[in-house]
Amino acid sequence: MSLGKIISISAMRVELLLSDTSVKVRDIVKTSLDGKEWRFEIASIKGNTAVSIPFENVIGLRKGLDVERVDNGLNMEYSEKILGRVFNSFGDVIDGKEFESEGRKNVYERNMTIPEIETEGDILWTGIKVLDFFAPMQKGYKMGLLGGAGVGKTVLIKELIHNVYRWLKSNSVFIGIGERSREGKELLDEMLEGDLLDKMTITFGQMGENSMGRSKAIYAGLTQAEFLRDEKNQDVLLFIDNMYRFVQANSEISAELEQIPIDNGYPPTLLSDVASVEERINSTDKGSITSFQTVFIPADDYNDAAVHAITSHFDGQIVLDRKVAEKGIYPAVNVFRTTSKLIDPERIGQRHYDLVSQVLAYLSRYAELEEIVAVLGIEELSKEDFNIFYRSRKLRNYFTQPMFVAEQFTNIPGRFVKIQDVLDDVEAILQGKYDSTDEHRFSYIGNLYDYKKN
Amino acid sequence: MSKRVDEIIEQKLKAIKEEKNINSRGRVSGVNNYVLEIEGLDEAFYFEEVRIEEKATGYVSKITANRVYVALVRKTDDVYVGDSVFATGKEFCGHYSKNAIGHMVDMFGTECLMNSKFDDTMELKLEENPIPIIDRSKVSRPLATGITGIDMIYPVGKGQRQLIIGDKRSGKTQITMDTIVNQKGKDMLCIYVAVGKTKKEVKSTYLELLKRGAMEYTVILSAFNDEYPPVIRNTPFLAMSIARYYMLNEQKDVLVVIDDLKRHADVCREIGLLTGTVPGRDAYPSDIFYTHARMLENGCQHKDGGSVTVLPIIETKGGDITDYISSNVISITDGQIVLSGKNFEKGFKPAIDYGLSVSRLGGAVQTRDMKRVGAAVRRELLSYLEKCDVYELANADEMSPDLLRTMKNGKKIRENLKQNKYSPLLPEEMQNLFDGLVNLD
Repeated sequence: MSLGKIISISAMRVELLLSDTSVKVRDIVKTSLDGKEWRFEIASIKGNTAVSIPFENVIGLRKGLDVERVDNGLNMEYSEKILGRVFNSFGDVIDGKEFESEGRKNVYERNMTIPEIETEGDILWTGIKVLDFFAPMQKGYKMGLLGGAGVGKTVLIKELIHNVYRWLKSNSVFIGIGERSREGKELLDEMLEGDLLDKMTITFGQMGENSMGRSKAIYAGLTQAEFLRDEKNQDVLLFIDNMYRFVQANSEISAELEQIPIDNGYPPTLLSDVASVEERINSTDKGSITSFQTVFIPADDYNDAAVHAITSHFDGQIVLDRKVAEKGIYPAVNVFRTTSKLIDPERIGQRHYDLVSQVLAYLSRYAELEEIVAVLGIEELSKEDFNIFYRSRKLRNYFTQPMFVAEQFTNIPGRFVKIQDVLDDVEAILQGKYDSTDEHRFSYIGNLYDYKKN
Repeated sequence: MSKRVDEIIEQKLKAIKEEKNINSRGRVSGVNNYVLEIEGLDEAFYFEEVRIEEKATGYVSKITANRVYVALVRKTDDVYVGDSVFATGKEFCGHYSKNAIGHMVDMFGTECLMNSKFDDTMELKLEENPIPIIDRSKVSRPLATGITGIDMIYPVGKGQRQLIIGDKRSGKTQITMDTIVNQKGKDMLCIYVAVGKTKKEVKSTYLELLKRGAMEYTVILSAFNDEYPPVIRNTPFLAMSIARYYMLNEQKDVLVVIDDLKRHADVCREIGLLTGTVPGRDAYPSDIFYTHARMLENGCQHKDGGSVTVLPIIETKGGDITDYISSNVISITDGQIVLSGKNFEKGFKPAIDYGLSVSRLGGAVQTRDMKRVGAAVRRELLSYLEKCDVYELANADEMSPDLLRTMKNGKKIRENLKQNKYSPLLPEEMQNLFDGLVNLD
């Protein structure tokens, strides 16, 4: 039955004249012409006209076409069938294999109440030295991986999938938002080759998709994570790459709706958009959702409004820095900006806590000394500063690590390092036990004990 | 007033007599640079090609309740308010002839040097749906540029998108020219896209490639500086469609050089501001990331064998690669070759900044030997460059033997990476350069 007619069209905005006023925001309507079908989501309504955002490109669309309603709004498969499969943002299967639905659910419905939210959890070690040492992770936490373009966010999230997912074999949801299709395909291939896809479900709204595709991937993926948590009572690992692209897609939609932007073109609804999805990522007494979310830093601007809106939801963050990457240090972590709520003597123990403080003190003195050395040379340093200078360089090299997923770049096999080893090694370096070892021997190794054996 | 109404009725009646379908007709009601406001055209569809009498061509860029907006791409005479407009009923497409290889052409199928149209052009849609993830395959075959600093340290594979970024006069275009020239005899089709370049620049590029015998397998697709901005905006999209055509229909390997995307972004900004879209960061349209992302996502290794490799170029100011457009494109491509004006001045040519350059595919697109040597060279070089800063003032006599060796070898490695233009090396020659300089275990 006709719901109305199309009266105006631009690249990402289609206006409708409604004949039926029972339409609400987020309803889905469709139209077709010459065998081609278009779907739109209603974004705003004023009197008897509605503005809608198209799912696909509007080339060929005409004024005057009738539109009709699609039942259920935007919905996603809500059954065990999601495991091992790949979806797009609109809940369609895109891995080219047969699919039979066992039940669908609207992607916007779930909201969490205070009583059902669980805040406790065990520590989750990732085997990546610099992460476990400076920003340890807890089950149920949200950890951000922040960085500008090309400093290694995606490699790090892939390493986390490798280490955490493979070792725990817990159910996982991967949501690709606005990232490269090539990387999406590589992730899929790696999971298939490693026979690891059976406990994972993937949703892609990659960067070639229009703003609608990139904006809705998160809702589709969250609905799957909620199914695993609420219906299957599972502890779920949630990987989101990249959360910033969700905000970016919303900016594009907002501009089409001619909303007045806040700075840098972000939509006025920036904070509420982010909150509406982040508040759904929580643990209950049935199961937990532990998430790793990458955040792109546009123009290397850490004070960006969107970045702040997202990071305010995190329990910890790992910040990747171009200045560190430039020196060939990977993962290129800026340890001064990297932190976690677990850095508390009551949670990780006094020893770990003290070592973190001491290393930070060393490294911050090192940054000052670097400038002094550049002007005066190393010979001018006092004995104490001399030790700090060399031990800091060794620590800095020690916190590099060969990654399993980056073996093709480094030609060095990846290493998983236990936190006890990290603490022992760091303590030994700080105490001067390795003062006579050359600094480059600390780069790209696992723990020092294994290394010495070779 | 009633006289005016009568006039309109008479006009419409006349039009009905002349033409079967009044709905595909309209008249110009406003002219704003190259954007026209049209009354009528009730049945026009989005992106439809329209004609303004015999004077101009454009496409439908926006349809509102009472007006249609048309972006002009070609004009032979002035357009006046009241001129009649008719819709052609077909989507606005680019024109391309398969005989264009070896020629400099534009998006309308014109041979620019002779100023004549090819008579066997086909129409290619400017944009199609993204290539599905499932149809893509691993990027793993190396594309030899012949430049040691690239093939060995930050390699490019077939199907990769690798950004070339740097200041004015740091050798950006030269790297792509070297790469195109080095494809001779390698069964690769090259498309060089000039985005808003001067006619002089494009002509000398053509002559240079001709001189080196590279035009045999190259198409220069140009949108000159003085074309209408919608033409400059759409030309790189046509280049991707051409590349995609060869990849999908003939399983060919295609290399596309886009020179450059900063200019393209500026053109998109101009069109956006002129048509009243809400400006985003630095006044660029909010969807500028998406514009470049969907263009560059056409670069891929297809599962059926063909590939599209893209080398977009971006010009920076003051060596800043973190501005908005640069960091956007860096986050789309599979890596970047950063060129430093400082290195260029010091004579380290190609002026690659080895610290800031990245290849996200790295060894995956190298042969086993190349990967082994390349990874070691990169490690030694970066460690040398970092130590250079710190130990610049240190006394060589007091250095540990380990450090001394790193410093000496690093210097030699850096010297060996120097290379003149158009002097490509074979992989074996590159590897031989580093014999005994790096530790290969």
